[in-house]
Amino acid sequence: MRISSNWLRIDLRGFIGRITSGRLPTRVLLRGIAAFVALVPISGISLGASDAVPQNLLRVLAWPGYADADVVKQFETRFHAKVQVTFVDSDETLWEQMHRGSPPAFDVLAANTAEIQRYTQHNLLAPLDVSKIPNTRLQLPMFRQRSTIGGIEHDGTVYAIPFTYSSMGLIYDRKQVSVEPRSMLELWNPQYRGRTLDFNSAQHNFSFAALALGYRDPFHLTPAQMRTVTHKLIELRRNLLTLYTLPEEATALFVEHHAAMMFGNYGTQQIELLRRAGVDVGYVIPDEGALAWLDCWAITRGARNRALALSWINYMLEPEVSGLLPQRQGLASTLGPASGHAADNGKHLFWIQPVEDIAQRESLWRRIVSGEPPERFPR
Amino acid sequence: MKLGLTSQLIILLATIGVVSSGATGYYAYRANRTMLVNEAQQSLLTSTRLLDQRFSSALHDVAEDALVLAVMPSARKISESVEHAPPDGRERLEQVFMSFMQYHSDYLQLRLISRAHYGLERVRVDRGPNGVIAVPEAGLQEKGHFAYVFDTLAVPAGHIYLSPIVINHEAGTHAASGRPIVRVGTPLVGANGANVGVLVIDVDLTRVFARLARDLPQRDQVYMANQWGDFLIHPDPALAFGFDRGQRVLMQETFPETKPLFDESGAQMTISGYEHRRDGRIYAFARTPFGAVEGNRFVVLGLARPLTAVLVPADALGGRITRMVIVFSVFALVLAILFARALTKPLHTLASAALRVFDHPPDARLPTERSDEIGILARCFDSMCREIRLQMSELHSKQRELAHLAGHDALTGLPNRMLFMEKLAAAIDTATRTGQRLAVIFIDLDRFKQINDQLGHWAGDRALTVVAERLASVLRASDMAARLGGDEFIVLIVDMQSAGVVEEIAMRIAEAMNEDLQLGDQRLKIGASVGISEFPADGLTAEELLLKADAAMYAAKSSRCGMHRRYQELASPGAVS
Repeated sequence: MRISSNWLRIDLRGFIGRITSGRLPTRVLLRGIAAFVALVPISGISLGASDAVPQNLLRVLAWPGYADADVVKQFETRFHAKVQVTFVDSDETLWEQMHRGSPPAFDVLAANTAEIQRYTQHNLLAPLDVSKIPNTRLQLPMFRQRSTIGGIEHDGTVYAIPFTYSSMGLIYDRKQVSVEPRSMLELWNPQYRGRTLDFNSAQHNFSFAALALGYRDPFHLTPAQMRTVTHKLIELRRNLLTLYTLPEEATALFVEHHAAMMFGNYGTQQIELLRRAGVDVGYVIPDEGALAWLDCWAITRGARNRALALSWINYMLEPEVSGLLPQRQGLASTLGPASGHAADNGKHLFWIQPVEDIAQRESLWRRIVSGEPPERFPR
Repeated sequence: MKLGLTSQLIILLATIGVVSSGATGYYAYRANRTMLVNEAQQSLLTSTRLLDQRFSSALHDVAEDALVLAVMPSARKISESVEHAPPDGRERLEQVFMSFMQYHSDYLQLRLISRAHYGLERVRVDRGPNGVIAVPEAGLQEKGHFAYVFDTLAVPAGHIYLSPIVINHEAGTHAASGRPIVRVGTPLVGANGANVGVLVIDVDLTRVFARLARDLPQRDQVYMANQWGDFLIHPDPALAFGFDRGQRVLMQETFPETKPLFDESGAQMTISGYEHRRDGRIYAFARTPFGAVEGNRFVVLGLARPLTAVLVPADALGGRITRMVIVFSVFALVLAILFARALTKPLHTLASAALRVFDHPPDARLPTERSDEIGILARCFDSMCREIRLQMSELHSKQRELAHLAGHDALTGLPNRMLFMEKLAAAIDTATRTGQRLAVIFIDLDRFKQINDQLGHWAGDRALTVVAERLASVLRASDMAARLGGDEFIVLIVDMQSAGVVEEIAMRIAEAMNEDLQLGDQRLKIGASVGISEFPADGLTAEELLLKADAAMYAAKSSRCGMHRRYQELASPGAVS
């Protein structure tokens, strides 16, 4: 006989169960804190995958703000292409990215004139057929005279097309300085002793002081010029309130110490900050000219589809695209006067170039900044 | 495979026991873990506040040193001196500075800077690679363009200036070169009451923190950020002072939860939390004012502790809980077995009782005395068994009655022909095996028909009854009489020691039949003819023996002379008994 009961049949499973020319802070300033990105891959970038690159893929190496998502999307739609953007935040990162593969695993890149010169010397760039970039005709004459822009032309071959720039002019407080300054020499004016600010940089200080002294080539100083500029910079130091590094710091110092003027390393972008801080500031490009960085687009030797890369550069020079630079980035486009601060157009800008001896400038600058008296420097 | 009730119950109860103890253990472990994390967060927050206080107090101590040195008359004299400082006063001050430096290993520089000469250093004592060095006049520099000079000069006498925390890039500063420093300055008041110079102490932030964090557990990581969030102290030195290298590494990005601390409203805020990234750690951050209040400067200090260190006691408890769960599971299993058996045992008893309902005596082991459902079931079952037994016994007695009626004559109570023939056949079988002899005596009443006709059936029936009684009285216990029907009777003689026995019995029968019969008021003689057949002599079968005894009886009746005849006598005519 067997006893079994249905009510006991329970399912037991239930239980068991940068700072070259101060560019990084510029972008930090503009884009907010979020710009600190070593690499911001967009739409699933894969580096070094050069072997399996489809014909319609464009690999772009750019700075934040140069290839915003909406801009990229529009290009992709119009050219039936796929764009992979890799952002860089410093010249060093750019250099690293360009050397990850040989030839470079990118089709186009954006870099300043000094860097373009370096890449050209290292044979990393492809010559450009400017006729295939019709939008260059829309550019201001100063940007079309490429031979006058150091670094982008080599042996009559164009390697880069200017895209955006920023000058390093003189910022002054309109309330304290009633007459618009006409030279950087105003920074030496004892009238403003202890009320001027300068950017803490060896390269640019020597360069702009050289310009103020009337030297023709501020990037390549002779030893005699170097000695003169050194003493000139000591004089500048004695007249300064202090030196700044970050744009926020510059603004804070300017406001707190009622500074009268300063060397605007971050250019027009600093004006916005100061105005927001309540200072009535003016911005001038001195008569002797001002230093400026100029970013250009170039095609690498590794470009698979040069026609598409040329289309990208041409697209970047479209008024709607270049127009975004002043709108969104506070930067100037090469197409025409775009902002209120662009009074510098037509004035002489010195596109930054590699200097004669950066180590010497830095060593001298470090001693100047540290407060060494002029007697300790050769005359 | 189907499981029995006991197995099912064991599995069910053991599973409930194991699952409930396991679940209780697991939730106890989780609750303890959460409690430990919360407690550690609180303790870490307290440590962070303590670190804050210690940092403020360390800076306060430096400030006091600066104030003590600033009120020295020689300090004022030297800073006021227009050209070169008086040598003797300068040397004495250098000695004082050097002894201060020796006692404070975290001081990197101790300086007296004049307002005149673009902030020219007048006395400077540096920490060098091999001890404290007094810098000669030829090595002194102009510092007027540094905030720590012009900002300190702007501070009222007896007050302190605290510089932002930066990496020292000033050339010729010996050990201070490239170090993260904070400068503590205080103004020197001249004879005219105006600030004529400043006294500045450069403090090595790393050493200060190495000292402050000495009491902290080794595993705790210290973080500090300035008011913009730039890391000044980070467990990975490569991530501190990122801004100095052009790369900003921000606290509010590394720890997004600290974002509110950097807002204007975050002054009194403390943040503590639990980071799930990496291998998990808890952290606590607190904002503390730094330097002049009006500058609204602050630093954010934080501590992080790996979760693994926090959870050591939780893991220990986890181990104990696991052992406990195992013990309780075994216990639950044993209980389940015992309980299942206790529950199913009475069921098995009932089952076996159901198998033996008709046993005598009835099974007395039924748990009828229990007061629970099983007791009720047992009692019901018991009364059901009694009822069944009662009914069955009634049925059996009826059966026996029927069987008797089938083999007996209703009137005389003697076996009938059918039963007789069965018994005769059985007796023949026995006799055949044992070699015994048998005899069959056929009796036919002579005057029965007359009695019946004259006196009625009542008398007939009465006569037959008496005949049956008389037959029984003359027969031995081993013999058997039966009524064949009508007025015919038959007797089986089994125990035959001699031939004479049959004759004797036949004679006694005949005599008994000839006795007077009282029927009502009449006395009658009924009389009978008797025929005998013998086994094996006259036949080997029951029918044969019956026929032959019948034949012998007829012979006896027709001869009218004898009262009984043997069949063998018929075979040898003339022979008369």
